[in-house]
Amino acid sequence: MKTRPNKRLFLIGTLILVAGALAALVFSSFTGALVYFHTPTEVTAKTTELNGKKIRIGGMVQAGSLVKESGTQKIRFLVTDGTSQHPVRYDGMVPDLFREGQGVVVEGTWRTGQDFMADSILAKHSEDYVPVEMSKEGIEKSKDSLMKSLK
Amino acid sequence: MWIEIAHFSTLIALVLSIVLLTAPLIGVFWQRPVWVRIGRQASFIICALLTLACAGLIISFLKHDFSVKYVAEHASLKLPIFYLATAMWGGHEGSLLLWAWMLSLFVAIAAWKHWSTHSVSMPWVLSILGGVLLGFLLLVVFLSSPFDRLINPPFDGRDLNPLLQDPGMVFHPPFLYLGYVGFAIPYAFAMAALITSQSDNEWILATRRWTLFSWAMLTIGIVFGAYWAYYELGWGGYWAWDPVENASFMPWLTGLAFLHSVMVQERRRMFKTWNLFLIITTFALSLLGTFLVRSGVLSSVHAFATDPGRGVYILVFMAVLLLLSFGLLTMKSDQLKETPQLESPLSKEFSFLINNLFLVAGACTVLLGTLYPLAVETLSTAKVSVGAPYYNKVFIPIMLGMLLLMGAGPIIPWQRTTLARLRREFLLPIALGAIGIITALLLGVTHPFGVASVGLILFVTSTHLQDLIRNTKARMDKESLGPLVGFIQLIQRNKRRYGGMLVHLGTLTMVAGFVGSGLFQEERNLFLSLGDTLRIGSWSLTLQSVDKTARRNWKADEAVFKAENNGKTILLKPQKRTYSKSDQPTTEAAIHSAWNEDLYVVMGDAVKEGVWSFRIYRTPLVSWVWTGTGIMIVGVFWAMMQGRRLQRKPV
Repeated sequence: MKTRPNKRLFLIGTLILVAGALAALVFSSFTGALVYFHTPTEVTAKTTELNGKKIRIGGMVQAGSLVKESGTQKIRFLVTDGTSQHPVRYDGMVPDLFREGQGVVVEGTWRTGQDFMADSILAKHSEDYVPVEMSKEGIEKSKDSLMKSLK
Repeated sequence: MWIEIAHFSTLIALVLSIVLLTAPLIGVFWQRPVWVRIGRQASFIICALLTLACAGLIISFLKHDFSVKYVAEHASLKLPIFYLATAMWGGHEGSLLLWAWMLSLFVAIAAWKHWSTHSVSMPWVLSILGGVLLGFLLLVVFLSSPFDRLINPPFDGRDLNPLLQDPGMVFHPPFLYLGYVGFAIPYAFAMAALITSQSDNEWILATRRWTLFSWAMLTIGIVFGAYWAYYELGWGGYWAWDPVENASFMPWLTGLAFLHSVMVQERRRMFKTWNLFLIITTFALSLLGTFLVRSGVLSSVHAFATDPGRGVYILVFMAVLLLLSFGLLTMKSDQLKETPQLESPLSKEFSFLINNLFLVAGACTVLLGTLYPLAVETLSTAKVSVGAPYYNKVFIPIMLGMLLLMGAGPIIPWQRTTLARLRREFLLPIALGAIGIITALLLGVTHPFGVASVGLILFVTSTHLQDLIRNTKARMDKESLGPLVGFIQLIQRNKRRYGGMLVHLGTLTMVAGFVGSGLFQEERNLFLSLGDTLRIGSWSLTLQSVDKTARRNWKADEAVFKAENNGKTILLKPQKRTYSKSDQPTTEAAIHSAWNEDLYVVMGDAVKEGVWSFRIYRTPLVSWVWTGTGIMIVGVFWAMMQGRRLQRKPV
């Protein structure tokens, strides 16, 4: 049988090895998994800086901008925050809450000068649940809070 | 009327929780046992009062009392009665009241059950729980009151969010809270043991059932949430690493670590500080879970509130709790000296230690991924999200490592073992695992994680079955019994061990479900008109009709598919629903669930006249996830049925 200190060293060594491997696993997966969120205005401002990066753009689907290509699921629309807007393309079924005038978050890789090809669309409902017959004022307020929550 | 009764009884409960906090302490410091008894009585009365408060709120819902703001916001005249009664926890105000009620119930049960057996720690337990209860009731009464009246009551309410009108979502919060709240009891006992310098094993033995119960409830709550996401959200999956899901997953992980590591303290008198650390962390993460979901800091389907006052209050509450708990742990660290030491890496305690490392690393992973975006957002103007790939990258290796440990841990003896014994125990399971891997490769499974999990699942199953068979044989030989009687005796005499093993088998079932549904899902996006047929897997689906249908508070477009598989025919009816009080359409997926695979049809919009878009999934082994959970819960309850063991001779 080995001597005691030797054995403890071995035990502690094993533990450190396992813990180190776990920590390395967590941190190596973490870097590179982060996707930054931008408003359309920010995207316009940093258009070259963001080139080739995976980002999320959050805003509203501009009213009247939604075009569906007939016979396919391809769509094109403008995402806007009131100041700046960008064309977005997407191929696939859109979420229930997706519609013109509603909040939306699109994720994809930004390529300067091209339409934003979204890999996924997350429709954002306002934090306040708004029923149909609410007053115009209420809808405006919930729009404000939506824009705030998207920021 | 009812709401005033509810409000008033909550106020009295608030005052009495101050009594619960202070009276037992007076009893301890001035040695007046009668004051401790006052505290105990207070806990019973608080429970009765909060029961009344919850009943009052539910009755207000049932009576459609829209002069109550909370009722007006979460119900309507057309809401079916089942959802009407359960809308009580449809928003955060009511959920917090439910939380407080459950806590008061548990405090009363603890005060009743442990009164005569734990007279030294009881005053402290009562006082600590009184403090937690006071914290929650202050929140309910002053910052998040479900009892507010409206001056101009509307004729009809706003209705419950349509997404929440689903049985899965009705049962999800109460079970989750039972789990969260349940951890308060072991936490209070642990703190009391520290304060009274009795931090030996007693608090662990006393709260074993509480811990098991809480963990089981948390499991059920989490799975109900996943089940809801699968049935209601219509994206074909059940777990998206959404911050709200993560919030409940963290205490689950540390709670699981705690369940394992207390066994080491019980048998080997080790890990004392670690166990205290784990239970404090678990309870703190339970509070964090409540905080994250109920303060509105996360924006997702669950979090409907945006009210900074409430968030700050819960943060301060948690900070106080953490400071006091860890402060106490540091102050009392001298009494936690451990004499026995780890002897060999080939021992049960070492495998439990690694198991704990894995689980805590898992909890840290989730904590980092959940809080980092919040920190970034608070400290700068940027907003960042951490996606599912991060969690999958970390959790798949952790899960595989856990499986390996799960196969070894129950079999390896305490303290140390010999290589000869290891060979005897593990030769057959390793061989079977290897055969599993080869078979999987031959069958054309190429995904490395898929192959590894098949091997590991077989490895763990065979270690467990081998153990069961050997011990049954031993019992048969010793008492000359038949195999069935021997087996029944075996699992009855050691409910804890075999309950635990059943939980492991349930976990394996779930893992098989994760692998099947995660790696082998087939998805189709397509347009169909009436009469069109498509093939997916061995199924052939024909779109027969699309019609309008309606119920009390919604109307819908409903498609009817005829699905055929080897002569078996079923009808699938996916819907696109619109609730009368809401402009948001919701998807009702049509799901055919079988033991080997689920067929899942989602209806999209009409593309043009007579053509609709559909999304169809064929997902293998989803039902194994739900079945596995069931097996796990049975296992936990089997383990809970074992009463306290007589003092074991120290190993």
